[in-house]
Amino acid sequence: MDLPSFPRGLLAMVLAGGLSLSGLASAAETIKIGVAGPMTGGNAAFGEQFWNGASQAAAAINAAGGINGKQIELVKGDDACEPKQAVAVANRLLDQDKVAAVIGHFCSSSTIPASEVYADAGVLVITPGSTNPKVTERGLPTVFRMCGRDDQQGPMAADFIVKKLKAKKIAVVHDKDTYGQGIADAMRARLKELKADKKEVLYEGLTRGEKDFNPLVTKIKGTGADEVYFGGLYNEAGPLLRQMRDQGVKATFVSGDGSLDPAIVAAAGGPKFIEGSYMTSVREARNIPAAKKVVAKFKAAGIDPAGYTLYAYASLQSIADAMKATKSTDGKKLADWLKSHTVTTVLGPKNWDAKGDLKESGFSIYVWDANGNYKEIAL
Amino acid sequence: MDWHILAQQLVNGLTLGSIYGLIAIGYTMVYGIIGMINFAHGDVYMLSAYVTAISLATLFSFGLDSLPFALLVTLVMTMVITAAYGWTIERIAYRPLRGSTRLAPLISAIGVSLVLQNGVQLSQGARTQGVPSLIPTTLRFGEGDDFVQITLVQVMIIVVSLSSMAALTWLIQRTSLGRQCRATQQDRRMAAILGINTDRIISSVFIIGAAMAAIAGVLVTLNYGSFDFYIGFVTGIKAFTAAVLGGIGSLPGAMLGGLILGLAEALFSGMVNTDYKDVFAFSLLVLVLIFRPTGLLGKPEVEKV
Amino acid sequence: MPPIAAAVSTTGVRWNLVFRQAVLEATAAFALALLLLGPIVGLVLDGYQVRNELQRPLLIAAIIAAGRFLVTLAMHTPTGQTALERFNARRRQPGVLVVSASESDRQRWWLLAIVVVSLTLPLLASKYWLTVLIQAMIYVLLGLGLNIVVGLAGLLDLGYVAFYAVGAYGLALGAQYLDLGFWSALPLAAMLAALFGGVLGFPVLRMHGDYLAIVTLGFGEIIRLVLNNWLEFTGGPNGVSAPAPQLFGLEFTRTAKDGGVPFHEYFQISYDPLHRFIFIYLVLFLIVCLMVVVVTRLRNMPVGRAWEALREDEIACRALGINHVLVKLSAFMMGATVGGIAGVFFATYQGFINPTSFNFFESALIVAIVVLGGLGSTTGVIVAALVLTILPELLRAFADYRVFAFGVLMVLMMIWRPRGLIRPRRRAFEVKGLCR
Repeated sequence: MDLPSFPRGLLAMVLAGGLSLSGLASAAETIKIGVAGPMTGGNAAFGEQFWNGASQAAAAINAAGGINGKQIELVKGDDACEPKQAVAVANRLLDQDKVAAVIGHFCSSSTIPASEVYADAGVLVITPGSTNPKVTERGLPTVFRMCGRDDQQGPMAADFIVKKLKAKKIAVVHDKDTYGQGIADAMRARLKELKADKKEVLYEGLTRGEKDFNPLVTKIKGTGADEVYFGGLYNEAGPLLRQMRDQGVKATFVSGDGSLDPAIVAAAGGPKFIEGSYMTSVREARNIPAAKKVVAKFKAAGIDPAGYTLYAYASLQSIADAMKATKSTDGKKLADWLKSHTVTTVLGPKNWDAKGDLKESGFSIYVWDANGNYKEIAL
Repeated sequence: MDWHILAQQLVNGLTLGSIYGLIAIGYTMVYGIIGMINFAHGDVYMLSAYVTAISLATLFSFGLDSLPFALLVTLVMTMVITAAYGWTIERIAYRPLRGSTRLAPLISAIGVSLVLQNGVQLSQGARTQGVPSLIPTTLRFGEGDDFVQITLVQVMIIVVSLSSMAALTWLIQRTSLGRQCRATQQDRRMAAILGINTDRIISSVFIIGAAMAAIAGVLVTLNYGSFDFYIGFVTGIKAFTAAVLGGIGSLPGAMLGGLILGLAEALFSGMVNTDYKDVFAFSLLVLVLIFRPTGLLGKPEVEKV
Repeated sequence: MPPIAAAVSTTGVRWNLVFRQAVLEATAAFALALLLLGPIVGLVLDGYQVRNELQRPLLIAAIIAAGRFLVTLAMHTPTGQTALERFNARRRQPGVLVVSASESDRQRWWLLAIVVVSLTLPLLASKYWLTVLIQAMIYVLLGLGLNIVVGLAGLLDLGYVAFYAVGAYGLALGAQYLDLGFWSALPLAAMLAALFGGVLGFPVLRMHGDYLAIVTLGFGEIIRLVLNNWLEFTGGPNGVSAPAPQLFGLEFTRTAKDGGVPFHEYFQISYDPLHRFIFIYLVLFLIVCLMVVVVTRLRNMPVGRAWEALREDEIACRALGINHVLVKLSAFMMGATVGGIAGVFFATYQGFINPTSFNFFESALIVAIVVLGGLGSTTGVIVAALVLTILPELLRAFADYRVFAFGVLMVLMMIWRPRGLIRPRRRAFEVKGLCR
């Protein structure tokens, strides 16, 4: 009796069966594109964003006639943010589903081993969310990203903290994960360049999945820090902020794009806890003029295009454009095309360097107001 | 370390420890009576956090504006529903395995844990959920920069968990149900021969354990304000560690183990390093068990030939 | 269900009573399902509000009630009765199947067939299925290793993944700092894992059953946390790359990395990433075969018999002069060694490892393999490892419901076969030449 959604599961099975049958019949007329990410497990929220973004993009492109007359068919791949499953799902997408390109993997620790598999098979992969430098630093020709790198936004935060906020004592907290620690370390490296590393009073990691950070907060309080920099995701940033305010720590909170998510309001327990916090992120997708129409479509479908949703959307757009232009699905050709052309996406025009990184990542800084909204600040 | 930092860390440790203690009761009672590690218990606690938020949101949407009343209704609702989960899980996943190998229910429990986590994810979505901060009162002691600030909810956590413990101890020591529980724990077959319906006693142990986890869930949700479908795992392992530390099968042991674990984590994070606090917690457990192989308050096992 | 017994007479079934009972049970099931699922499934949190989806729990509860009704009715038909009896009878079977000593060994032919099939599979399988097979083989190895500890020696180890991690990091860090290759790291990592097993095992082995379980769980977590936190040495969450295996100095890469000769150039065939996986699979298969032989032999040797004796009755063993600490320690270290070897293969097959691969769930999965395999049965462990690794891949068709379905199946499998899929077999001991 504790099988909450069993009928839906049954339905899903029937549907999946039907899809795979129809997939056989129409294999020639569609282009399959894999969407890989954590669809289950602790990071499933991000996988959901990938899928929502990609499926809306696919619907829009298909409605406009598809790619060279072929319809896009998306295939979901779940890696649960585990490297082991990431490799398995990468092989499955290539072998069973015969995908022509992949949007994916969220956790950098999944993207790194999985992209080896894609590159080995010469298949194009664009990650909408893996910001670890290592993803594109290994010289794999068909690996791209739709987001910035940790070593770009960390330094920006450091500049902001030192020059604008005139910090005296900085506490650095990270979540001991590839992304969080990576961005915190990049921030510290820049502090050193600015000769401000003496101002760092604390550098510690918290455990992802926990909700009680009170001991750490007390420690921050003991150091008398006036700025707290957090490298991590909103799931932990919210409770951390709330516990800081509950203990009377008034330090300004600065964080990265992993925390810039409307869900942080719920995670913290109200907008008053996050008011006045700063977060670096890529240009807010929802405010980019090009995105207005798309955002309206998402809203109409009952989806909040938060976090990485529009990045996944833009990734699919780029893949589709490259396929249209080269009239091919060969990873090498697509990669060469993407590296030499500018793609107009929902996030604005994008172009890539030889490594597969965005030439212009366009990070900016946002501040939260008392109503739980954030806006870009002029630097 | 300044006095106010130390005091603040002690409060942190006590609140965290009381939560561990409340959840540890579920582990320790179940283990005491049927000798199985109920790995799904952490997820029962996770469910209670969801029920709390759902219940509060529903009550407020009906225009209820009396906070104490809403909290009371929510507490009762959460305890009832979570207890029903405890009962059902035992009935479906563990009872059919009674009398088979000791490890069979353990594996079944891992299966139940997966079902609960993913069932909640499928129906409620994967993102972190929250409740607004309902009791924003904070208490401040000290002046200037040297102050201790604690929330009213933290005080509530300590008071409520201690009084629930006292009530539970009374239930186990003084009532007929408690006597039957203790009898079943000592010798299930003999208790059955003497006319105790052991199946029912085991069911009620699951119900009590789940209800205690529900209290923890309500308090935690009020205090931290956010939760997701994955919180049961980390907290569950810690609470189980607390139960073993205190001596598995012993009620006061569960509370003591919880408090010690909470305080150890808080003080270690405060004085040494947050990165290694879990390493410290587990090392402490290993050390205690090396010198007291049955935990702090556990009865030495009688080796039967 | 005791009241049913009254409803079933020798001449037939009193259907009106049965029917009434079925209705009652269905109603109870409906009410309970509604209580459990109503809030969780029916009221979906949306910010600080709830969205009403109450039709979902109603539908599910109705299906559950209908199912319950039909099952109760079916239980009273003659077919239902015999099925129920057979189900219960199987669950009452003893744990160990004792085979007569004179029974001929037909297993030999099966073994031959399995070996032939296993060796031809990689040539037929696609790359995806090949990687699934490699993973399954790694879990077979892990299962065999843990089976020595849990199945044979009866020590519940919930932190087995620690040794797996030690093996994997042994290869990766050995390559990074000491420039070790796959073949030199394999024995070294195995020995390192054995050392860890010894160091952990010695102080904790005097603890009893479940205290041991939680201490090993703690140890597994400690290893993972240290790997994650010790950024300077292990790379922390960023992980480390692990080298690919070589065949007598031939590399399985498109272009040679450090002065070696790629396999495909040496044999003048075109490059195929499949070669590397086929090679790993074959080596792994050989190791698994070797392990099966070793474990089978060990079980008949004094130390193996001592493990099983200790599992059954520790006090009697000590009274008979068995050094229980040494015997347990040997099982622990033996299991750790196998775990370390599996770790090396995992690292080389993945090419990249980080601490997320070595969490508690992994330990739980390996314990599940051993328990589902039937605690002590080698065949059972192999079957269970294959089932539990291939099943989640097959369930990918369920998309989001995959892990949910896996959990349901885990519970159902335990209810269906609480003693595992395959019962351990034991040859009866026959006294020869005594009373002539």
